[in-house]
Amino acid sequence: MGKKASDKTSLYTEEELLEMVRLWVPPERVPGRVRIKDTSDFFQVDYDDVVVLGGVPYLVRNNEREGRFGIEDQQKFWVKRAIDLKTGRIKILKWTFWETFTGRIGSLVFECVRSPLKEARILNIVRGRPDFMQGETFMDAAGNPLRIMDFIHGKSLEDITLTLGASHEDYFFNHYPGLLSEFITAVEAIAFLHAHGEKHGDLRRDHLLKDNATGRYRWIDFDYNYRHRANKFSYDMFGLGNILIYITGRGDVTTHNLSHNAPDTLSGLDSDDLNIVFNYRVANLRKVYPYIPEPLNRVLLHFSAGASVYYLNTAELLADLKEAFSILK
Amino acid sequence: MNIEANSGARDKHLLIAIDDTQDSKRAILYVGEFLGGFPGFKITLLSIVQEPEEDFFRSEQERVSWINDKKKEMSGLLDKYRQVLIQSGFQEDKVDVKLCIGDAKSLSDMILSFQCDIGCCTVVVGRHHKSKTEEFLFGSISSQLIHEAKNCAVWVVE
Ligand SMILES: Nc1ncnc2c1ncn2[C@@H]1O[C@H](COP(=O)(O)OP(=O)(O)OP(=O)(O)O)[C@@H](O)[C@H]1O
Ligand SMILES: [Mg+2]
Repeated sequence: MGKKASDKTSLYTEEELLEMVRLWVPPERVPGRVRIKDTSDFFQVDYDDVVVLGGVPYLVRNNEREGRFGIEDQQKFWVKRAIDLKTGRIKILKWTFWETFTGRIGSLVFECVRSPLKEARILNIVRGRPDFMQGETFMDAAGNPLRIMDFIHGKSLEDITLTLGASHEDYFFNHYPGLLSEFITAVEAIAFLHAHGEKHGDLRRDHLLKDNATGRYRWIDFDYNYRHRANKFSYDMFGLGNILIYITGRGDVTTHNLSHNAPDTLSGLDSDDLNIVFNYRVANLRKVYPYIPEPLNRVLLHFSAGASVYYLNTAELLADLKEAFSILK
Repeated sequence: MNIEANSGARDKHLLIAIDDTQDSKRAILYVGEFLGGFPGFKITLLSIVQEPEEDFFRSEQERVSWINDKKKEMSGLLDKYRQVLIQSGFQEDKVDVKLCIGDAKSLSDMILSFQCDIGCCTVVVGRHHKSKTEEFLFGSISSQLIHEAKNCAVWVVE
């Protein structure tokens, strides 16, 4: 699947590497010496090390961080930023290995896997597309697939949503239509993936980055897989629903927040109005923001505890979303 | 209606979709009790083995042996249920079994396309008792069959 990484350390001398480093790194950041590390032992690869993959030397920078569900700034030592010393471009090196684990949602237990092969497969399928992160897979000396991704300069949908508008109403009338249209495009990207028989596996609002270079959103992080049952894509649909509710509410509208800011609104809600899985988040947002039109709210209700039918695929969701969008404008 | 006089006409064809759960077993027992001994019925037992993606295995070898084990298990079960139906009064030549392997986007779609191919008039499934969340996250064959079946009846056995 991946290309063979020629890990020949002899390709470059230390002086040659330092010369390249000087091209891309400000003088005060140029290290005194650089060491070429073997990629098969990723624990040993640190800031200022060089790794050579496919003949290209990369200067390793910091680990990526991800703030998720309140755990702010979780360091990911398996996702590192690096500089391609030949072009100066920033890359993301991802060195996750195969692991299985048990997913849990409430009392529901399901088999999950983190698979570098899956990410590699998807990188091949989406090559050249503006709506997915781009990258290549290389086999390291130990036969592990390493992914080298183009770094996407830009903010996540999660962050962008929170910065738009002075109030929810201002946001909804002046910014949301544009955002929804971008979200529809992102759902179409997932439709493309599903049409190729692949799941995304981890559809979250922080896995959609708006690329400054193109002004378009790209999905990232494809290495999760879940063991599906009756319907292969239901779990991905759940992820899309959560993102839709998030952008429509301009962030999570939680029962906790309402109890502080709008206790009357809270008392008008019942359990059917909440997100079917995260039952502290409101899905029936029209009860909180009455100017949300019915057709749009009906889409949200498919992800509420009161729903009796669910979206089984992106086509069903897209049809309803597009109709809801046409009424917004 | 005179059943004897009907025996020359085309049999009514039922498709029973089974997996390895007790719910499927209930569906088999129900059909056996309900129709066993009456002439004019034909049954196809269908089991679909969902082929997991390569991601879930350490090697291709592990994947192939998982599928083979599963196939063996399900064909054993199909034979066992076939015998159950024969013992409840169906003639041997009126009970077929079918094992499918596939990577279906939706199991109910696969069941319905099989139903369409063999032209049977009734699809029978057992109902899994799922939480709403489970149905939402992973789908439900019986709910989807009820919503999507065309030109046939669906029996959901509790
Ligand atoms: N191509 C990219 N461009 C810019 N940033 C990226 C890119 N890929 C990943 N990142 C950043 O690195 C973080 C971690 O990457 P990624 O989500 O792929 O890793 P992960 O370990 O699979 O995460 P998770 O914990 O969600 O499973 C991302 O949340 C994002 O902030
Ligand atoms: Mg991630």
